[in-house]
Parts: sequence; structure tokens; C-alpha cells
Amino acid sequence: MTGVRKPRPNRWQRAFSTQNRGRSLFVASALTPLMLYMLFWTLLPVAWAISLAFFDYSPARIGAPPLGFGGDNPFVGLANFQNMFGDLKEAQQFRTGLKNTLIFATLVLPLNLAITIPLAVAIEAIHVRVKTLFRFVYFLPTVTASVGVALIWGYLYHPQQGLINMVIRAVGGSGRIWLTDPRAGFLGVPLALWSIIGTYLWWDMGYNLIIFIAALQSIPREFREAAQVDGANTWQLFWNVTIPLLRPTLLFVCVLTMISAFQTFDIIQIMTAGGPQDQTRVMVLDIYLNAFRYQRMGWAGAVSLVLFAMILIVTFVQSRLLRTKWEY
Amino acid sequence: MNRKKFWILAAALTILTLLTAQCTPSPQAPVAQPAAQEAAPGEEQIELRMWTHQNSSFIAANEIIIERFEKEHPNVNITIESFPYDVFIQTLQTSMPAGTEADIIEMFGSWVCRYADRLAEVPDFVMTYSEAAELFFKAPLDGYYCDGKLYGLPNEFNIENGAVMINKALFEEAGLPYPPAWKNTQDLLANAQKLVKTDGDMMSVAGYHFISGDGLTFQLLAGILQRGGEYWKPDGSGLVFTTPEAKATLEDMKSWVTEYKVTDPFLFNRDSNWVGNSFFVNQAGIGFIGPWIVPEARRQFPEIEFDYVPLPNYAGEKHLFAADAGWGKVVSANSKHQEMAQEYVKFATANQENALTWNVATGTIPALKSVAADPKILEEAPWFEASLKVLDDGRYVGPLPDRDLFWNEIVYPHMLAVFQESETVDEALQAIETESNAMFKP
Repeated sequence: MTGVRKPRPNRWQRAFSTQNRGRSLFVASALTPLMLYMLFWTLLPVAWAISLAFFDYSPARIGAPPLGFGGDNPFVGLANFQNMFGDLKEAQQFRTGLKNTLIFATLVLPLNLAITIPLAVAIEAIHVRVKTLFRFVYFLPTVTASVGVALIWGYLYHPQQGLINMVIRAVGGSGRIWLTDPRAGFLGVPLALWSIIGTYLWWDMGYNLIIFIAALQSIPREFREAAQVDGANTWQLFWNVTIPLLRPTLLFVCVLTMISAFQTFDIIQIMTAGGPQDQTRVMVLDIYLNAFRYQRMGWAGAVSLVLFAMILIVTFVQSRLLRTKWEY
Repeated sequence: MNRKKFWILAAALTILTLLTAQCTPSPQAPVAQPAAQEAAPGEEQIELRMWTHQNSSFIAANEIIIERFEKEHPNVNITIESFPYDVFIQTLQTSMPAGTEADIIEMFGSWVCRYADRLAEVPDFVMTYSEAAELFFKAPLDGYYCDGKLYGLPNEFNIENGAVMINKALFEEAGLPYPPAWKNTQDLLANAQKLVKTDGDMMSVAGYHFISGDGLTFQLLAGILQRGGEYWKPDGSGLVFTTPEAKATLEDMKSWVTEYKVTDPFLFNRDSNWVGNSFFVNQAGIGFIGPWIVPEARRQFPEIEFDYVPLPNYAGEKHLFAADAGWGKVVSANSKHQEMAQEYVKFATANQENALTWNVATGTIPALKSVAADPKILEEAPWFEASLKVLDDGRYVGPLPDRDLFWNEIVYPHMLAVFQESETVDEALQAIETESNAMFKP
């Protein structure tokens, strides 16, 4: 028997068929508020920031209606980006911020890994009852408000009454001016930046520690046992088995830590406000000061785009270098 | 209601909720105002909003004046909305382009010209500039005068020069007469040297803490003016700091650090042991800061005995100095009731009784000449005496394109670098001049 073949419904017809309509409405109702939220509070601000970068825009000036672009807030094309190479004060400070941000992020990442990976292995190796305590203790700073952390560490670093100098003096050393002496440095990095890195590591390492502990727990025991049967010692186990198997986690941690380091603001703003002599002025602080203190929102938008590009490139490079084609 | 209509309504409500959400931070809950008297029949009821920064004494002073105004204008109700200082600045920047700012804004004079585009000019029926110049000191008033137009009226003469704080306990401990009778800067420095204390490898008490952030720029400008110099180019097109007067001032100040050693520029500066903190924990014998610190300090540190005494001139006979305008009141160009808002501005700033109330409650130096001459001000705030004596010698700092940039990012860092010996006096003055003039680029 031959019959007329019913045309196959397209995907829109399928989606809105009676049987699927309920499901589609549910999905739409669940996603619409979220999408609208993203549109208004994420995509539009991003579009706004990108637009700002091409204008000499100040919120204090009335530009052309309706958005304030044009008029007294003129279109300047790529001038904001070209000026970054010039002699203006803001350009000098941008370059200083760029350099400091790169130094900060480049030091924070390896130091964080150098502390958290061995610590995670050590915690994973101890008895289960004590393990919980250690996890709690190391994670505690992470859940502390960054403002509180910065204030407390500011007191610890205080040159006259700070605990750190008190301890140094108690053992016969001489105190240091940790946060405000532009002369002091170590390995070419200003002491104030080292001091902030110390605080940041203390505050931030809990996250990575927990991630590494979880990753270590997911590594099948057979790999280590096989290596032990082959005669591998503890160091060889760590270096040749554990670290390679942590590679996917390492990628995740590296990307997150790097992005977080690039975006550090609150600790620096409170502890040094970018001083001494701009030695701790990082890009996000520079963006904040230009946008909200000096009303140079166009310039701040351009610096934001540079920071965005940096994060994009670094994330891409990291993902290429640490990519794996296997899983366990 | 069918299902389709329901979803359309739900989506519309969601969009409406998002659109009506506040973009700006919420101000502190409006301060409840006493109910206005019954308005006359047919008279329009006017609701005005006023923004101020969140300072309890400022809010209290404004409440009293508003109450008086509402008694005189029963059809007007003014509501105060206040913000923490930093949030206030950011809120102004975001709300003004959006047109959501209050009718009346208590604004710092040095910001006024930056926002002039968005402010209402003071109409002639309220006050002309020449009338205002008769009533107010020129230094604070000129902060509200931009391109030949008056955009508000000041309550405060923001002054840092003219006097310093002295710590009684530290003076007595050092065996120095209290209060001191300094005839010149040398006398002050001699006292300061005796006040210095060290603890092991570090200075623990600064004899004279003068590296005080804003104060550093004020001292440089005063030093130039008192030596007969000028920091504006003759045509007003920019600034000049490579002058003999600027050099003499900065060299002099450097010697206080390097020769007299009355302070340590690494330990006592804006970012480390700021004078407003260190002085009140007995870590500075003499502190350079404006009188605005005194009322708050008396509240917070009642156990510290201190006085505010005249600062000797750097040079010359007169205590010439530059000041930036202090707090005052402006009206938004977006206000629907500009006339009434302007009336209030005049009532709060130019009326002697109200201005006195405001200055006494907030502990600020009056911008209104008649209040400065009123004996009541010294009865209420005796520490004003040294500052009041020099008000006539003050002048407005001038139309800087960006006051905060000039103060914080240009002058202060280079002067500090001189004291910390990472820049020479000539290098610093050249850099200050170059960077300052870059602010004037078209």
C-alpha cells in the first residue's frame, strides 16, 4: 500500500508541537530571566566599556544625546590606545601598572603552586581525622573578607608596632619598612610588592589546596601501586606519577589563579593604594582610579580592554601548553 | 488568562523589574523630616531631595537648617539622602549622566567646575557674583565660579595653612614651653628636633609631621606666594614651578627632613602613619593638618590633650596661602524646582544664623565673612582662632582642570620623592610643571 508520506516536522515545529510545548515553555521561563539578567548586567556593560574605549568620555561632561557619546565626549578612535605609548602621566602610570600586574601574576602563580601542591600531597597522606582539621585551617583565610585580610596584614607589616618587625627585632634583626619604602626590594622586585604577594598567597591558597586535594583523591590508587611495585621512591612517585596525572587540574588552577591575580584590587587598594611611588599600582587599580577618581572613563575603558586581551592571551597559551588528550 | 498571555505578562514583569532596578548605590534611608506646616490653599507642594556625604555632624547641621527653611516655606519638604564619602563621589558620577541626582547637592567646591555642565547657574535674583564676593571670602567662593558663572555658594573655607596641632604630653615630656611662641620656622624646627624619639632602628615619634598628603601641596603653594612668587603663568594658561621661589620653598622643606631630621619621610607620610592617625597616638609632636580634624579628634581621642596654634610664616610678613573651596551647596540643572532649590542654597549659606549653625555643628571654618567676624564662632570653636586670623590672606588655588590629579598624582609624589632623596629638587619641580601643564591639553 502506497501512501502519501507525511513531511517531517522541522525543529521549530518539533519544539512547539503540543507534546513539547510544555517543556519548551518551562525551558523558556527558566532561561528568560537569566538571559535578560545577563543581557542587562553583563553584555550591555561590556558593550558600554568597549564603546568607552574609543571616546574621550567623562561622566562629568554632557555629551551628545542619547548616550552621552559625542559632543563634549568626542569620538577619538584609537587615540586612547596610541596614547598608552606616550609621555602623558596616565600613560606612564598605565605602563607601570602593566609591568606590576605581570610581575605580580608571574610571581603569584608559581609560588602558589609551589606551596599548594606539596601541601595537598602532605595533607592527603596524613590520617583522615587530622586531614579534615588541616583542610579547615588552610581554607579559613579564603573565606575571610579580603578587606579584613588586608587590614590585619597592614597591621602585621606596620614598621613600628607590627608583629613581623617585633619578631625580627626579638631575634636580633632590624625591622623593615614593608609597605612604604620605595628603596627596598628583593630580586629586583619592590619589597612592597613582595609584601602584598605574601598576603595574597596566604589569603588565596586555600582554594587551590582544596582543588588539588580533590584531584589527588580522584587519581586511581593502581597507578601509584604499580609505580611502587616498579621500585619508585616517594620523590619519583610525586614527580613522575602524581604531577603528570594532575595536569588537567593544573590547567584549571593555573587559568583561575592567573585570572584572579590579574584582577587583584582590594588588597592592594587597602594596603598600599598603589604606593610607594606606584610600585604596587596594578592595572585594575589604575582602571579604578582613572574611571572613578579622575573621571577619565574613556581611558579606563581602553585600559580595561588591554587587560581583557592579556587575560585572553594568557588563558589561551596556558590551555595550549597544559592540554591533555587522555583521562583516567 | 490563557497560558500565552500569562507568559507574555511574566516576561513583561521581568523586564520591568530589571529596568526599574536602581543602577546607583542605595543612599542611607532618608532622614525623617518634621512634617511641614500646612501649605496655603492653592500653593504647590514642593518636594526637594538633598544629597550630602555621610557625616553625622553634617547631616545634623543640615537637618536644623532644613527645619528652619520648611517653617518659612510650609509648602516645601526637603529630604536628605546621604552616602559614604567614596560612594558619594561615584554616585555623583553615575547619577548625573543618568539625570537621577537630587535637586540640591552638598558638593565640595573643588569639584564644582568639573560638574558645571550639569549644574544650574545661581540666578541673579538669588545673588550675583559681585554680591556674593561682598559676603563670602574669595578663596572658597571662587571654587563655585566657573567661566564667569556662579554655580553655587560655599559654607566652608577649606584651609590647611595657618596653624598646626601640638601635643601637650610630648611637649612637656621634652621640657618645651607649652603652648610654644614660635617667631619663625627655625623656632618651630628647634622644638621639633627635641620632640623626635627613636626606638632602636626607627623613628618612633616625629617632631614635625608635615608630609601629610593634601597639606604638602598647600605648603608648597604657600611657600611660593609668601616668597613673592606665583605658580600660575601670567596668561593663566598653565602652571609654572621652575621658579626661584618654588625652588627655595622645596629646598627649605627638604632641609627639614635631611638636615633638621624632624621626621622620617619613609615612616611618616600620607600612606604610612598619616598625621591624622599618628598625632593622636602620640607619634607626632607637631602635626600639619587643617582645623577640620579637631572636632572629630576631640570626640575620638578625648584623652589626648592638644592645641591648634599659629604656624609661623615661611617668609615675608603676610601668611599668604592658596586654598581650595570647601563644602557648599549647588543645584542640579535637572531639578524641576530650581528656584526653590536656589532659595534654599541662599538660605543655608548666606544667612548668617544658618551659616553659623552649620559651621559650628560641622567644625568647619566659615566661608561667610560675617560669621568669621562673629564672636560666637570662637565661643563655640576656640581652636579656630589661629585660622580665622589669616583668612584674608588666602586666595583660591585657581581653575585647575583636575584638582585631585594635581594634588595626589603630581605634586605629592614628587615632593615625597625629594624628601626620600630619589629625585632632586630641580627634577621634581620640572616634573611637577610638565605633568601639571599636561592637564591643560585641549
